[in-house]
Amino acid sequence: MSLVTDSPVDSSSSDDFASFLDAALESNSSGSSPEGEAEEEEEEEAEEADDDKVEDNRVKRSKVEILEEVVEEACGSTLQGSLEQKLEESAKKDACTHPGSFGDMCILCGQRLEVESGVTFGYIHKGLRLHNDEIVRLRSTDMKNLLRHKKLYLVLDLDHTLLNSTQLVHLTSEEEYLKTQAAPFQDVSEGSLFMLEAMHMMTKLRPFVRSFLREAHNLFELYIYTMGDRPYALAMAKLLDPRREYFGDRIISRDDGTVKHQKGLDVVLGQESAVLILDDTENAWTKHKDNLILMERYHFFRSSCHQFGFNCRSFSELKSDESEAEGALATVLQVLKQVHSMFFDEPGNDPIDRDVRQVLKTLRKEVLNGCKIVFSRVFPTKFQADNHPLWKIADQLGASCSTELDPSVTHVVSTDAGTEKSRWAVKEKKFLVNPKWIEATNYMWQKKPEENFSVDQVKNQ
Amino acid sequence: MFFHIVLERNMQLHPRHFGRNLRDNIVSKLMKDVEGTCSGRHGFVVAITGIENIGKGLIRDGTGFVTFPVKYQCVVFRPFKGEILEAVVTMVNKMGFFAEAGPVQIFVSNHLIPDDMEFQSGDMPNYTTSDGSVKIQKDSEVRLKIIGTRVDATEIFCIGTIKDDFLGVINDPAAA
Ligand SMILES: [Zn+2]
Repeated sequence: MSLVTDSPVDSSSSDDFASFLDAALESNSSGSSPEGEAEEEEEEEAEEADDDKVEDNRVKRSKVEILEEVVEEACGSTLQGSLEQKLEESAKKDACTHPGSFGDMCILCGQRLEVESGVTFGYIHKGLRLHNDEIVRLRSTDMKNLLRHKKLYLVLDLDHTLLNSTQLVHLTSEEEYLKTQAAPFQDVSEGSLFMLEAMHMMTKLRPFVRSFLREAHNLFELYIYTMGDRPYALAMAKLLDPRREYFGDRIISRDDGTVKHQKGLDVVLGQESAVLILDDTENAWTKHKDNLILMERYHFFRSSCHQFGFNCRSFSELKSDESEAEGALATVLQVLKQVHSMFFDEPGNDPIDRDVRQVLKTLRKEVLNGCKIVFSRVFPTKFQADNHPLWKIADQLGASCSTELDPSVTHVVSTDAGTEKSRWAVKEKKFLVNPKWIEATNYMWQKKPEENFSVDQVKNQ
Repeated sequence: MFFHIVLERNMQLHPRHFGRNLRDNIVSKLMKDVEGTCSGRHGFVVAITGIENIGKGLIRDGTGFVTFPVKYQCVVFRPFKGEILEAVVTMVNKMGFFAEAGPVQIFVSNHLIPDDMEFQSGDMPNYTTSDGSVKIQKDSEVRLKIIGTRVDATEIFCIGTIKDDFLGVINDPAAA
């Protein structure tokens, strides 16, 4: 105790500063734990790593004196008061549940945490981690907040959903003309074709995407979630949202996910019962299929078509594009609006008890409601018919599927007009369509005109 | 807190820097090497304010490089637990907000924001009191108390709180 009084700290003197820092460092790193050898080592390491050397004759002091000195210096309050405060703080620390960490310090009590745990939220800030309980707490407060604003969550994939990108080296000679049409990355306020020279890439935004985002952001809190890396995700966000109105810091890349090759809602701070997902890849969301609205893939560039095994000419080569007014994004916006209004506007229980997954299911069931479908030469023989993806899709869309013909059948889905069932359909004036009819209906969320999906006769097999 | 202190550093110089401008060369290299860096012990070196002395050079065997011990005065910045700091808000979200004071990055969790302030999402997310009189958003200036610090080689992280008397917004850009 005597040392403190006869060596007052003068911050202009570097000798005293050195000892003062020592004190501060020790009391900072030790927290409420008793002083141990580990700290001594840590401090020595820090000293070695540091090129700078403070002038010598540093005095090591005992723990109690150090504590008093630091608190006195930092707070300027009386010795007695600060000690009491200190004790109170350490009591609080012991009770802390450490709900999360920032820079390895507890976000609630500030204590250094030795063990890394919880889910990393690197897309919000490097070094921020939250525990499950805290995530649950945040989700539930956020949910109330969002419902008050009549909004839900919408997670958007980038590639093939909102846009299409290609490496510049993969441009074919027929696509060279694009280079003169693309806008530079510096000017992203308008246009839909961009050259990202620094990333050696060209990106085409899907038609209608700007209107889509403008309208969707009134109904949903928007997230980007891409399998691309972080720089790519940020660059695309800049193209889609040049004024930063839509996404804020809610941009998640593969660098931020918790499971490799999988997308998960664990890093999305929204309750799963209120999250919708738009993505062209169903397999990325194995745990959240019920939240997913599957998107028809947008291929603009030749390399993109090729990558997915299409040998037809691409939009870029044909100098055309997906329809703005009747394309996938315009269609899905209508679906989203319907889901939103069913969720909020239907009378009945409190919105907080509703589940968007159920709403989605109900809405899907209406698409082919009243249709009875028989398949002909669609499944391989011996294949369990009700296991086939098309059967399942038809079922989800509300159609009833059957293997037997009867007067109540409305549609025969066939690959060959020559089969017995196909001929029956023609004779009985039932719809005869090819399997693409179901796929298109599934993507567009409405029964497509049957006459556009006629079935050809397969000759002499 | 800022401190004016004397530090020492061994500077290695290539022989091409010797000659009439030796002292200037040492000083400019020192500034380049030291200013803007962090050390766990002293915090962030804001600026070198003077040279106390430059010791005798020592030739390194085999290389021709010469090491000069340099004593210099500098202003350092280091946050302490319990310190009150003024900082500018950089990002607001549902977890709380991030703020910066020079090189220091501070996180204030929503646990440590007064209970009467609620998060408002939107284009400009913010924390606002129910009567709307106080609002924390990006670029707001806040006074906060540090409850935890960590000083890395290049960065200083802090945990802060505004849940105490006389803490919170000191200047609201939206109101200006
Ligand atoms: Zn804690």
